[in-house]
Amino acid sequence: MSAYLISMATYAGFFMILALALNLQWGLTGMVNFGIAGFYAIGAYTSGLLSAKAGWSLGITIPFAMLVGLIAGGLVALLSMRLREDFLAIVTLGVGEMIRLVVLNEDQITEGPRGLRIEAQPFRDMVSADAYPLFYLCLVALCVAATYLICERIRTSPMGRTLRAIREDDVVAGVLGKNVFRHRVQIFAIGGGFMGLAGALYAHYTQNISPEVFMPMVAMFIWMSVIVGGAGNNRGLLIGAGTVIMFLEGTRFIGDVAPWLDAEKMSSLRIIIIGLLLIVTLRVRPRGLLPEPKFAYRKPKEAG
Amino acid sequence: MSLQIFVNALVNAALIAPPAMAFSLLFGILRFPNFAIGGYITVGAFAAYTLNVPLGLPLPVATAGAMAFTGLLVWLAHVLVFRPMEDQSAVTLLVLSIALTLILESVVRLFFSADVRGFNIPLERPWKFLGARITKEQIGIIICAIVLATSLHVLLRHTRIGRAMRAVADNPMLASIRGVDAAKITAFTTVLCGAMFGLTGVFAGLDLVIEPLVGWNLTIPIFAAAILGGIGSPYGAILGALMLGLAEELTILILPSTYKIGVGFVIIAVLLLVRPQGLFGTAEIKK
Repeated sequence: MSAYLISMATYAGFFMILALALNLQWGLTGMVNFGIAGFYAIGAYTSGLLSAKAGWSLGITIPFAMLVGLIAGGLVALLSMRLREDFLAIVTLGVGEMIRLVVLNEDQITEGPRGLRIEAQPFRDMVSADAYPLFYLCLVALCVAATYLICERIRTSPMGRTLRAIREDDVVAGVLGKNVFRHRVQIFAIGGGFMGLAGALYAHYTQNISPEVFMPMVAMFIWMSVIVGGAGNNRGLLIGAGTVIMFLEGTRFIGDVAPWLDAEKMSSLRIIIIGLLLIVTLRVRPRGLLPEPKFAYRKPKEAG
Repeated sequence: MSLQIFVNALVNAALIAPPAMAFSLLFGILRFPNFAIGGYITVGAFAAYTLNVPLGLPLPVATAGAMAFTGLLVWLAHVLVFRPMEDQSAVTLLVLSIALTLILESVVRLFFSADVRGFNIPLERPWKFLGARITKEQIGIIICAIVLATSLHVLLRHTRIGRAMRAVADNPMLASIRGVDAAKITAFTTVLCGAMFGLTGVFAGLDLVIEPLVGWNLTIPIFAAAILGGIGSPYGAILGALMLGLAEELTILILPSTYKIGVGFVIIAVLLLVRPQGLFGTAEIKK
């Protein structure tokens, strides 16, 4: 049971990094990204392929996965900055699906639906096999903490104010002399980099990745985390990601109460419950459990 | 060979055009890309399947039943899910619609499992002319699509209710000031669109297979056709569907057919960047 809890918490960690990245892009800057699964896949396959096929050490492959995610994010942003937000949603979803299709079809490189086996794990020989899951959880927690701190730093910095201004009205931000385009591309790229990190951590955790993991459903779960937690609030969405994982995993136990449901029916029921949860949350608390704190003007003497 | 490409493209277009028109009409009500259409189509296909195979009704009756059912479903979805949230941003509505499509798809999966099914119709040898093959069902789909497009045109252009529908899509406030009952017209539009999605479900079941993902796989081509033709323009949607069908068939010549779904995405991306109002739409005046 405790092994199960550890794995659940590790998955929650991946979700938290993804949710923090999405919050940077959408919650803070107002750029929609439905291609999360694609960036997650980019990170996982970059690090996985470089270590499994090219034999590079993880100290290089994981930063490399972040770099590729960063570049991909920047490119998608450059491509689609002119779009209205709901069309940006379709285009990013399309990018995500295209990445999955490429991974699925170019099976000479990626092993396609057979799944890519990755042996390498970070610091594997320094920790005993029994303690390794817990060690990995700590590693993921460290990454979540680092991501959280960076995101909080961006949010509270002058740049964060600019980003919120862009979110509320990009024309006004532009008139005030802020470089809207550069900020948007930067933030989308940084978000992509974090998603790449989450993907790489995931790949070396499960040691077996295949395209069906990176369905658009992943994007949905992360959106739920951010919406349930409260867009724009980094602390809230950590809770949101935890809640979503709890519902995802917790509903597995319906099987104990209702043994007549087979695995397929169970997974359908789980998605129904999660979908209803999302609809109800949006209806009852459209700004999430922990809404973004309203900006309060502090008088200079109080502040200083 | 070359004629076969045009035949396939035409069948594809006949499958995509009616839901693309319905998508455009629905877009006129709340102005967001509604991903729930995938769920509606899947429900339509399975409703017709239930009436046709386990209950043994003839296919035309089953189709009518499925259309009534999805009409009701889309209206209910509008009243229960989307209308209470109409003040929210387009993105919120979009997230809602994705959640709804996942729910509908999962409900279907819960009752029917993911097995691939087909309607109870006799298998026949496809007809051949000039080296191209076409099945009787495909000819039926093409004829139905043409009839449907024509009747929709007559409805929108030459009837009172059609004029009211266009007025409400254009400016609901102004329409209601002029004495149009916007709520009633919106209800009519949703039921009409729902019936068209139900019909698409049946067509998809005839031409492809009946499975829970059938609607999701059609969603992107439908979006692509609607955007290609200029979103909100039902006639553009027909031309968009034809061009998309042709583009998809031509891609298969160079790339593996699994990339087919990507064609729609690429077309959407390029078009939105170059000509956001669509090929045949007029630019919207922004406030």
